Amino acid sequence: MFHMGWFVGMGFGVYGWNQRWSGNSARDVANPKLFIDIATSLERAGFDYMMLEDSSVIPDVYQGSREHALKNGTMRLDPMPLVPLLAAHTRHLGIVATAATTFYPPYLAARLMVTLDHLTEGRVGVNLVTASPHAAAQNYGFEKHVEHDKRYVMADEWIRCVKALWDTWEPGAVVMDEVTGVFADHTKVHTADFQGEYYSSRGPLNSMPGPQGHPVICQAGGSPAGRNFGAAHADTIIASLAENPGVENLKEYHQDMKARLVAHGRKPDDAKVLFLIHPILGDSMEEARAKQKAMQEATAANIEGLLAGMSYYSGLDFSQFELDAPLPDLSGLHNGHQSLVDDFVKRAEGKTLREALQARSQTVGSIELVGTPDSVASQMGELADEIDGDGYLVRIPPTRKALTEVCDGLAPVLRKRGMIRSGYSYDTFKENLLEF
Amino acid sequence: MFHMGWFLSYNAAAFGSRWGVRPTEWMKPQQWVNMGVSLERAGWDYMMLEDASFIPDVHGGSMQQALASGTAPKHDPMALVPLIGAATSRLGIIATMTSTFYPPYLGARLMATLDHLTEGRVGLNMVTSHNLRTAQNFGMDGQIEHDERYRRADEWIRCVKALWDTWEPGAIVMDEVTGVFADHTKVHEANFQGEYYSSRGPLNTMPGPQGRPVICQAGGSPAGRAFAAEHADTVVASVGSVEAMKSYREDMDERLVAAGRKPTDCKVLFVVSPILADSQEMADELAEIQLGTVEQRRERALAALSFASGVDFTTFDLDAPVPEIHTNAARSTMQRLLGGDTGATAATLRELVEAPPQAIRVIGTPDAAAAQMGEYMQEAGGDGFLISGTVTPRFVAEIAEGLGGALRRRGLIRDGYSHEHLRDNLLAF
Repeated sequence: MFHMGWFVGMGFGVYGWNQRWSGNSARDVANPKLFIDIATSLERAGFDYMMLEDSSVIPDVYQGSREHALKNGTMRLDPMPLVPLLAAHTRHLGIVATAATTFYPPYLAARLMVTLDHLTEGRVGVNLVTASPHAAAQNYGFEKHVEHDKRYVMADEWIRCVKALWDTWEPGAVVMDEVTGVFADHTKVHTADFQGEYYSSRGPLNSMPGPQGHPVICQAGGSPAGRNFGAAHADTIIASLAENPGVENLKEYHQDMKARLVAHGRKPDDAKVLFLIHPILGDSMEEARAKQKAMQEATAANIEGLLAGMSYYSGLDFSQFELDAPLPDLSGLHNGHQSLVDDFVKRAEGKTLREALQARSQTVGSIELVGTPDSVASQMGELADEIDGDGYLVRIPPTRKALTEVCDGLAPVLRKRGMIRSGYSYDTFKENLLEF
Repeated sequence: MFHMGWFLSYNAAAFGSRWGVRPTEWMKPQQWVNMGVSLERAGWDYMMLEDASFIPDVHGGSMQQALASGTAPKHDPMALVPLIGAATSRLGIIATMTSTFYPPYLGARLMATLDHLTEGRVGLNMVTSHNLRTAQNFGMDGQIEHDERYRRADEWIRCVKALWDTWEPGAIVMDEVTGVFADHTKVHEANFQGEYYSSRGPLNTMPGPQGRPVICQAGGSPAGRAFAAEHADTVVASVGSVEAMKSYREDMDERLVAAGRKPTDCKVLFVVSPILADSQEMADELAEIQLGTVEQRRERALAALSFASGVDFTTFDLDAPVPEIHTNAARSTMQRLLGGDTGATAATLRELVEAPPQAIRVIGTPDAAAAQMGEYMQEAGGDGFLISGTVTPRFVAEIAEGLGGALRRRGLIRDGYSHEHLRDNLLAF
């Protein structure tokens, strides 16, 4: 058996703006209903969690302007307030929201996550990111962003500080004895006295621990620094091999993460590594292939979108490069999504920028999954067997059509074949995640 | 007509009280959501969730009292706002944020998000946090000096407003025919450069229905009032007498005019804890019970003084004169606790802490209580009241269905909401 999640890639943002099947998208903007539909669909399908991505900037690197981003609806609301609403409509699904460690005061985050753990009755998780663009740092009052690897040093200190705050209430501290009238035992609540280079906090936390104690920690960075951070702290890891797909690469990533977990004194099963997938489903293989072809052609034709995307990831304005010439040497110039840009540069060798972008646009996810629900389920099962994998995160824009194709088409096949859960064994997200 | 609000904490204050919910339920949404629904039915303008980020440990030099009694744990009120918002359609929901520690960008974005989720009914109660422990929890060695906290708060809210204003009117196009989501020429940077806070912007979250969420302020010191006159749409005022209510409102009128605003731009609501029963005699008896024994009063008053000043008042000689405390913490609260509102001065600390606390007294049947509140408002010239008291379903029902009904029948409070947004309803009269 393996685990399933959905990577909600634009967070509490805009999906399928002005595109086919996106429905009444203007009415869905800044409205929780689509997200409630996502959550209830995923729970019906037996998914472990949904993960809400986040960002703090309107991209403005491409052409030095926000025009492209704003015209196309690149805007996000804070995902944290969605968490209690999604929980109120579900009973078992894990709900993960993203927080940028670089900017969130540890005490504030520790307290918010504990509160959400209560409101979700033990089903909250936090996806830790270090935030990549300079503009994000500037929004938070810094001149420019700290360098990539140092961000992870800071993130490591940040989560240790947050955990220290979560641990200020020992087991047994909450008494809530209605007969003796004692609420909490003060001898079991202690200060954290966390003194770090970047973050400090005295404590104790003035909020009591939730059902999970420590909420689930999720991590997504694929660079060596990111992977080590995940190995040290995460309960689940989002693995993106879109730039570097194929069974061998997935296997290598999986084994690398498991080795890093052991090196950090943890068991290989302590963190579930889920690979991002982009399944394309149809009633027949021909229909699914035709659908894939149409999608790939549309993406390849949208050179502007591809340039804007790479500009965002790299922090470099790609509109300055000649489209029909090889990509100039970018080494040492970018400070963004490090591993993603490195992979792109490697794969761009011997190609013009246009060719490299178009090749990238044909991305199939970690593994190409195109077919009927039955054939895709078989592929997923075979791959999971071969790499001894923990599961997958679906990353396609969550239109209601895509949701029902995955949740009511693919998921029932996976369930019937015993590949994914047919129910939830535990009350808390973390217990379900670690069940198998 | 005047406005009604409720001042509450997301905590387990009802633990051990006769009519409270089960201890295992206080942190769950239901009680707070039910409360919002009841207050909306009663025609309340808003509920205001206060907050704090520390466990009190000054009193007796230990966290014991706070933890054993259940007053200590407090959960993040921001997380309750969307839930109460989903269950109501007109009630305003104000939650507290401490300007000293919240990064402005995070605060601006969270409030814009909540404005969408409540469909224009959210408010931000700005506090500066007075406690040393809070500062230490946020990684600082000591607390910032009282008046400087307000200078920072002023800069903070100006930075937050600059971020809210980065999307100009008309920036959101959402034209499904042309495919344009937003007009980038109407979204600009904030480029706010302050002494304490800076932010480039624009906010990556589009503005909510209110544009700027309602701003609420609760500090009664001169610095706090000056801040409110500049920025607040509503003020929470905690005073001990009708005379003090009157002078508070007059002072705010002057400050608002001096800040270039109209006195009607900011609604001053006074905190009251009504005691209601089926007869006046029963209500008076309940008031007597609530007042407690001399020992209970002394303990409560010493704890309150310790909390507001940051100095352990149990260490002082009860029969010596009231110690002179120059606090960096809650200045106006200390002044009120020391009797400053009425000018009465106690000869000893014992006399001060054993006396019945000063409060605006509303005691009686719902109808008599409503009449008293109407008279007080007439005399003080204020804009309304905020209910405070231990939240139990029974107390909420007494206030919402008992007192609320009586106030409405007398035409003292609204009978329905004329607008969709909190600010519009707040400024409707």
